[in-house]
Amino acid sequence: MTAYIVRRLWQMLPTLLGVVLLVFVLFNWVGGDPAYILAGKMSNPQQIANIRAQLGIDQPYYVQLWIFLKQIASFNFGASWSTGETVSHVLATRLGPSLTVLVPLTVMETVIAIGLALAVAYVRGSLTDRMVMIACTVGMSISILVYIIVFQYWLAYKMGLFPVQGWGDHFFDNLFRYSALPILIGLVVSIAPDLRLFRTFFLDEINQDYVRTARSKGLSEPRILWVHVLRNAAIPIVTYVMSNLPSLLIGEFLIERFFSIPGIGREVILAVERSDFPVIKAITVYVAAATMIFNLLADLLYQAIDPRVQLK
Amino acid sequence: MNDAVRHSPGLWALAWRRLRADRVAMVALAIVALYLVSLLLSATGVIARHWDAEVGVSYAPPSFLGAETAAQRDAPRIKVPPAPPAENPRDPLGPLLKRLRAERAAGQGGIDYYGIQDPLAGDITKLRAKLRAEPDAGVAKKRATLPFGADKWGHDIVQKTIKGSETSIVVGLTAAFLATLLGTLFGAISGYYGGWVDDCFNWFYSVFTSVPYLLLILAVAAVLHQKGVLTIVLILGLTGWTGVYRLIRAEYLKHKQREYVLAADAIGASHASRMFRHIFPNVSHVALVQLSILTVAFIKSEVILSFLGFGVPVGVASWGSMLNEAQNELILGKWWQLVAATTAMAVLVTAFSVFTDALRDALDPKLK
Amino acid sequence: METKPLLAVRDLRVSFRVDRRQPGFEAVKGVSFDIPENSTVALVGESGSGKSVTSLAILGLLPPENATVLPGSRILYGGRDLVGLAQDELRELRGRDISMIFQEPMSSLNPVFTVGYQIAEVLRLHLKLSPRRAQARVLELLDEVGIPDPLAKSRAHPFQLSGGQQQRVMIAMAIACNPRLLIADEPTTALDVTIQKQILELLAALQDRHRMSVLFISHDLAVVGEIADRVVVMRSGEIREQGTTDAVFRNPQDAYTRALLQCRPPLEHRPQRLAVIDDFMGSDKPPGAPGERARGLAGNEPIILEVRGLGKSFYSRQGLFGQREFKAVQDVSFKLARGKTLGVVGESGSGKTTVGLTLMRLHQATAGVALFEGRDLLAMPNAEFKAYKRRIQIIFQNPYASLNPRFTVGQILTEPLAIHGIGANDAERGALVRELLARVELPEASYHRYPHEFSGGQRQRIAIARCLTMKPDILICDESVSALDVSVQAQVLNLLQDLQDQFGLSYIFISHDLAVVKYMSDQVMVMNQGEVVEFANSDDIYLRPQHPYTRKLLAAVPRADHRIRAA
Repeated sequence: MTAYIVRRLWQMLPTLLGVVLLVFVLFNWVGGDPAYILAGKMSNPQQIANIRAQLGIDQPYYVQLWIFLKQIASFNFGASWSTGETVSHVLATRLGPSLTVLVPLTVMETVIAIGLALAVAYVRGSLTDRMVMIACTVGMSISILVYIIVFQYWLAYKMGLFPVQGWGDHFFDNLFRYSALPILIGLVVSIAPDLRLFRTFFLDEINQDYVRTARSKGLSEPRILWVHVLRNAAIPIVTYVMSNLPSLLIGEFLIERFFSIPGIGREVILAVERSDFPVIKAITVYVAAATMIFNLLADLLYQAIDPRVQLK
Repeated sequence: MNDAVRHSPGLWALAWRRLRADRVAMVALAIVALYLVSLLLSATGVIARHWDAEVGVSYAPPSFLGAETAAQRDAPRIKVPPAPPAENPRDPLGPLLKRLRAERAAGQGGIDYYGIQDPLAGDITKLRAKLRAEPDAGVAKKRATLPFGADKWGHDIVQKTIKGSETSIVVGLTAAFLATLLGTLFGAISGYYGGWVDDCFNWFYSVFTSVPYLLLILAVAAVLHQKGVLTIVLILGLTGWTGVYRLIRAEYLKHKQREYVLAADAIGASHASRMFRHIFPNVSHVALVQLSILTVAFIKSEVILSFLGFGVPVGVASWGSMLNEAQNELILGKWWQLVAATTAMAVLVTAFSVFTDALRDALDPKLK
Repeated sequence: METKPLLAVRDLRVSFRVDRRQPGFEAVKGVSFDIPENSTVALVGESGSGKSVTSLAILGLLPPENATVLPGSRILYGGRDLVGLAQDELRELRGRDISMIFQEPMSSLNPVFTVGYQIAEVLRLHLKLSPRRAQARVLELLDEVGIPDPLAKSRAHPFQLSGGQQQRVMIAMAIACNPRLLIADEPTTALDVTIQKQILELLAALQDRHRMSVLFISHDLAVVGEIADRVVVMRSGEIREQGTTDAVFRNPQDAYTRALLQCRPPLEHRPQRLAVIDDFMGSDKPPGAPGERARGLAGNEPIILEVRGLGKSFYSRQGLFGQREFKAVQDVSFKLARGKTLGVVGESGSGKTTVGLTLMRLHQATAGVALFEGRDLLAMPNAEFKAYKRRIQIIFQNPYASLNPRFTVGQILTEPLAIHGIGANDAERGALVRELLARVELPEASYHRYPHEFSGGQRQRIAIARCLTMKPDILICDESVSALDVSVQAQVLNLLQDLQDQFGLSYIFISHDLAVVKYMSDQVMVMNQGEVVEFANSDDIYLRPQHPYTRKLLAAVPRADHRIRAA
């Protein structure tokens, strides 16, 4: 096991290096000269040269790359170009709000989707099954933007059930008051694709031979579904949820933007709008590292729930 | 011997037969075809050419609702908070304001121009007089209602939606095509040759998938300053090939071991022949289904990108920018742009999704 | 005086359809038979005969989306008609009164639960045992079915057991509640012949000890002859003949039954040609057996291929930097005489298939030389080997996977001609292909058809034709007839023999089926776990086996005239 983990961590390095290179190429090379952005509309060449020297972009590329690598290793990316906050502070403070919405959302979404998918698998082939699938398809075809706009308008503005926007100072306040509508919208948007996927997993398992054996033993259909099939389908479900988590963190960005939740996703959008390169670079590298670690965790978890897997 | 050769159906003919028998799929296909036809017509300018002409009054309601009455137009749309008390005892400027208001009421005071004359004052007075005389001169007649309403500038929503579909569909299809092409090519080479070639591509793949998809798009959008259809297509295409790559690579790995490929090797077929003549026709249906799935995903992504302002520039109509405007309009009670964009997109995406599912079933039927 | 049968099937008709939109076809067309108490009844037939469908229908296990039991069918057990029985009553019967074991034990067991859990599940459901009593009973059952170290194995997962052990676990699960009837659907087909023998003996012992009845479904008449009291022969959904084993085997009334009995290559003698179904169905006279075919090498025949010290190892990663070696083939040497057949026989994992693939350079050999016309085929650079590729060809086992589903038959057969530059132009090549199609007895219209329109046997003939396009010297037949029905097997074997007689081809015939190997081969090489265990003329191997493994293998071959009796 330890050998496996060590080998995986070792294999992550080239990938991480590749991400660093990608980010570097994008921002330091393609991205053009940020000095003009920072200097503002009216500036003289002296100011621009100063800024360049400050940022270190007047150096040759390989020096810049070395500086970047040092930054990553020391977790110090300097300051945001627009707000002056240190990037580390930015990341540290934005993670909390994102997780406050993300964690309850993921848990609820997975549990509800599993329950619904099992129910649909039980009545597979029937009219209910087909209606639910059609409802899912239609639901998925409406952009998340529309859900956010409409829900915000109806439930928060018109009916006053939830606050329209905002974030508070206290954790429970945030969790129950400010996160409620975002979580609701997140659920509505993500249940449909999850339901479709989980249903496929369940149906794949239902067609396996061991289900026929279970029936021949006289087990009832509910028991077959809830015990035998679910346990086997849990494997692809867990893998899917685990490997999706890092992208969910960023994917929430629309919700965070609309609801003014100070999370990582919103930070990314703001940074992109303001061409705030240090923030974008830092987030990209860290999220990439997090994704790789999550994949490793997913593989370890996979080994724990699937007895056939032997990690080599 | 009967010389009339009966051509037996290959995979595509069989799949088409199955597809034709599925009525729902045919309806979906018809809807998609309709959109494509409208795309062609609008791209060539046959319809919706003048979508950006301001033909209606601002926020003209749809015809079935009837024009806004004067009373509706003047009624306050936003909940007006109650007026603050006239006198605020704690206001530090209170006494000063009281004095100024008293002066105003008495007709004194006013703004001191310090002797500066407004150079345009004479011309403006003349123009105002002229307008009072002929209220409708030089102003095109604006309609009070349009088939599905107007946006803030009076553009016809119907035409705008049709024009917007052009952006979304073109972006969706082209980007999907690019991504599928790249993913298939990389996946084929990687899966077939294995070894260090595979390791190389896998490294590439890991790098691209370690960064969450949206983040990658936004990061690329941040650095590519020029906006436009080509930029979005490149962004989506160059980041979206990973899913196709993984699938096609898995297919090639699977087929490489199959006996018909071993047999091809045994009879002396070359690598290229095996890869493209033998294996590819057996996996092309996977690529086709992925193309379809990606088109749907990219249409949705384009809408979000346009909404955020990273998509097409301002003068170009797109569903994303329509939704952006709709956000503010909703509070004013104007829902027609929202509904138009949403419905148009929902119908297209639903039809396409249904067709994709049916296509997948037709090409690779499994017992349900 | 007739005692009431344990289970009576009357006029069973089942309709099948692939999906909702296609019309159905009748898979079972009015089948009636009895299963008496305390006896073994065998349901025999080739693929498509409807035997599996019949067995699944008894327990109501047919998938409702695809199969419908048509009205008028009755399955009588314990005074009740199982067709149309309420689901909860049917569930009470399943696993308790009537239980079932299936063909693929690996996929029939739930991979994520332990063996003990799965057996205990049925005990707790039907017998309402407490967890502790259930666990004790599980250990008893595992012991009864012959699993060593029951405690450890009960905590193991299915994938940790061998194929034979998995099947024993399935049997333990099935007999846990002392059922009256055990339905066994091809339980030994996926197992090696030595394991098969053990499982058959186990089933016979259990049947005797528990005084239960067994419904045994199989395509293998020899196996059936060993264990069944009564035999029901099915073809295309109908019963052709039924009766006691003795009666049916000694004095078959129906032409199809006669054909089935005769089509297998017998172990005792070697007819010039194998009988095929058509020989029987046409007339009532049995076909003439025009003499025996002699086989065996005298030692002075010209040698076409000499293999010395062939070895192939596979490596897998272990630990942080290490490698683990798995020796699939180790030190194999033989000589192949021109125009003769070398049979390679062994069980799964013996390395016999790897030998064939390595000779073709589809795997890269780790050691050894293969001398052909004085040159070592294994050491040649790729460019040079291309010229030799057409001289040695291979026919694979799986007829459904060895032809490209997207090519027409014409394309499949023309390709090798085009690659090797045989035939001056397309017209000539087309003519060659048509000639070959006739040679392998396929209709000319096959040229434009796709493989999925052909049966397994026909596809193997296309594969043979593909090899013949290049006029090879050596043909490797890698389990080429193992996936085919008995009657079709005979046709393909006859074809192969005709080709050898006509063109002087040399064969390397790889198979696990000893009877077929003995029939086809002049010399036989027995392999076990990668090594050659014995090598002799085929008659000598069967009459005077030297090595203990060879003897064990021969003893395990099912023979219809040997009855397994419980001790």
